[in-house]
Amino acid sequence: MSNRLRVLDVALPLARARRRLLPRRVLWAYLFVSPAILALLLFTVGPILFTLWVSIHNWNLIEPISQMPFVGLENYRYLLTKDAVFMRGLRNTFIFTICGVGTNTVLGLMFALLLNTRLRARVFWRTLFFLPIVTAPLALGMMWAVLLNKNYGLVNTLLGLSGIPQQPFLSSPNQALACIIAVAVYQYVGYYIIIYLAGLQGIPEEYYDAAAVDGANRWQSFWHITLPLLRPVLLFIIVTNTIGALQVFDIVFAATTGVAGETSGGGPAGSTMVVVLHMYNTAFKFFRMGRATAMAVILFVIIFVVTLIQLRLLRERV
Amino acid sequence: MRRQTLFVVLGLVVVLLVACKAAPQVVEVTPTAAPVKLVMLTHWGEESVLKPMQARLEEYMRLHPNVTIEYQTVTFDQLLTKITTARAAGISPDVYHFYNLWLPEFVKGGMLAVPPEEVIADIKANYAAGSIQAVTYMDQIWGYPTEINTYQLIYNKKLLAEAGYDKPPETWDELKEMACKVTQVDASGKVTVAGFLLIPGWDSGVVHPFLSLLWSNGGEYLSPDGTQALFDSPEGLATLELQMEMIENKCIDLGISWGDFPNGKGGMIIMANWWRATLKDTFLDGYENVGVAPIPHGPNGQSSTLQYNWLFGVDNGSKYREEAWKLVEWLNTPAKEGEASPIGDFLTSALGAIPSRLSDQQVLADRYDEFLQAFVDSAAVARPEPVVPGGQEVKTTLQTEIEAAWYGQKSPEQALADATEEANRILAEKR
Repeated sequence: MSNRLRVLDVALPLARARRRLLPRRVLWAYLFVSPAILALLLFTVGPILFTLWVSIHNWNLIEPISQMPFVGLENYRYLLTKDAVFMRGLRNTFIFTICGVGTNTVLGLMFALLLNTRLRARVFWRTLFFLPIVTAPLALGMMWAVLLNKNYGLVNTLLGLSGIPQQPFLSSPNQALACIIAVAVYQYVGYYIIIYLAGLQGIPEEYYDAAAVDGANRWQSFWHITLPLLRPVLLFIIVTNTIGALQVFDIVFAATTGVAGETSGGGPAGSTMVVVLHMYNTAFKFFRMGRATAMAVILFVIIFVVTLIQLRLLRERV
Repeated sequence: MRRQTLFVVLGLVVVLLVACKAAPQVVEVTPTAAPVKLVMLTHWGEESVLKPMQARLEEYMRLHPNVTIEYQTVTFDQLLTKITTARAAGISPDVYHFYNLWLPEFVKGGMLAVPPEEVIADIKANYAAGSIQAVTYMDQIWGYPTEINTYQLIYNKKLLAEAGYDKPPETWDELKEMACKVTQVDASGKVTVAGFLLIPGWDSGVVHPFLSLLWSNGGEYLSPDGTQALFDSPEGLATLELQMEMIENKCIDLGISWGDFPNGKGGMIIMANWWRATLKDTFLDGYENVGVAPIPHGPNGQSSTLQYNWLFGVDNGSKYREEAWKLVEWLNTPAKEGEASPIGDFLTSALGAIPSRLSDQQVLADRYDEFLQAFVDSAAVARPEPVVPGGQEVKTTLQTEIEAAWYGQKSPEQALADATEEANRILAEKR
């Protein structure tokens, strides 16, 4: 009992001292991280809350914020029940995402496997694939808009020389979205190749040697060694690529608004209209910031849910 | 621990709120002699027009040594975004040059300064009724009218002559016939020269020619009070069917657009006069082969066309409103009788546009070539584009639906019915 009392005698002042010291340490810690927290509040949390706030109002971007009328969920109701362009934008965005992410994932892996071999001029090929990444998407979109021009584009000239019928490409509502997807894959596949290569080079060579000793062929090595060990990389690529693809804007804007930006974009006949482009037009062309922010919130929810599903499906196996 | 975290976060929020507190909207009127910096924004940024405009502003600064002008330019498609975002950020230019279709939103947002009495008197005395109407909204004049743009049938004289025509079409029937005869197809069936060109993808490029044809067939765009869309009328349907017939007969190829006209790949197109500078520089067969004619009329109407205007306005939040109006007034007023105003001179010589000021039109008449004269003449039958709240959105809606018909996604009836329904909803909502 006396021993216990003695322990308490020592412990209580220590606890008191810790309580006295801790706040000061915590305060210092907060002081040091406060610039980062402030930046986070100012540039991330603030805009998100403001977006949510504007989405339940009618605001034309010009009127003072204090005067914008409250409309409740009207903007959401309109978008989900009446806005045919938004629905079309969603559809096109999903097609772009599924096709773009799928192609990037598969093509990126194929090229990475190729570049991971003892290929001649390997550095040259790696550089070649990576070059589009360092090009601005707007410049790339404009360049491809010229290359894919129906009448004077280089691609059609080459097709003509090869005896293949020339194509309308971006002038056709049936081909324009596919062209945009192809341009996006062209731009980003190099980035995913580099990620895959990093993953591939992290797989110990001994695993393949052991498999070869056991008589495994190349396909079996790929299926049972490479692919399972690349799963964390696959997860990263699919999740980040999906998030980016659902927010696609720049390439569509550049490739479909004309060289001088004279058109509204998303054409022909709305065949390449994506959610963010419609959001941009709604906000800055139609003076409907409330509706545009509601689109942003819906897109945020979609991205959030899709990402959660991907993480749930892929992480369990990683 | 939790309480401390709460205090720290609250403290940061307070700092954030203080930092974000909007600057007071007090407008000081600065004495004339004090140094003044004015920011002017236009979409005249191309090399050919940038320097001539800068020269005029430098002249103003020479005459007014206390004034410094920062001249900003953006492309047309970025102009509205730049104006609105600058306004939201509290860094509006003092003076901007803008499309009159944006007036309702700008006025509703309290963005524009009411011109001084002398400016209003000058505009009322020296501009045509159409130009005054174009810069008036809710019975108030909001700025100086500048360029007038109308639409006319622009044609390639050489291509028409090769097809056996020595004059342009005057009626829709003639237009259809000539367009098909001018069209050239190669051995594979690919259209190499389209008889008539449409401008898909661009709202004004789709809607303005459509309205010019619609009005030339006795149809209407909106009701006189601007509350109802009327383009699903029989006249509207006939207008869309005219275009559809030419598309189906391959006399129009949607892959050959206005950018191909200077290369000799199009016989005829309905376009505005501001295109003159481009055609002058780039028309492959020589500028002398560019012809201009009135809009061909339909069975139910007479040739008409659409007119739209631009204006110079001053931002209501400008610190130097008085000086800004003085600059705008100087730009739009002749220094002496018998001379052109600086803007009139600029519009005619550098841009190839029609100035709004009547005295400019007279003084500069000798500078009009055949191309520009045809557009000046068209002003007599031109109708201003209706300036209504939601006008831009209605225009884009109509563009989307017309294109849906062009590309076979909807029947012309369905496209116009859908466009009308959506336009009426927009007009009701924005009223």
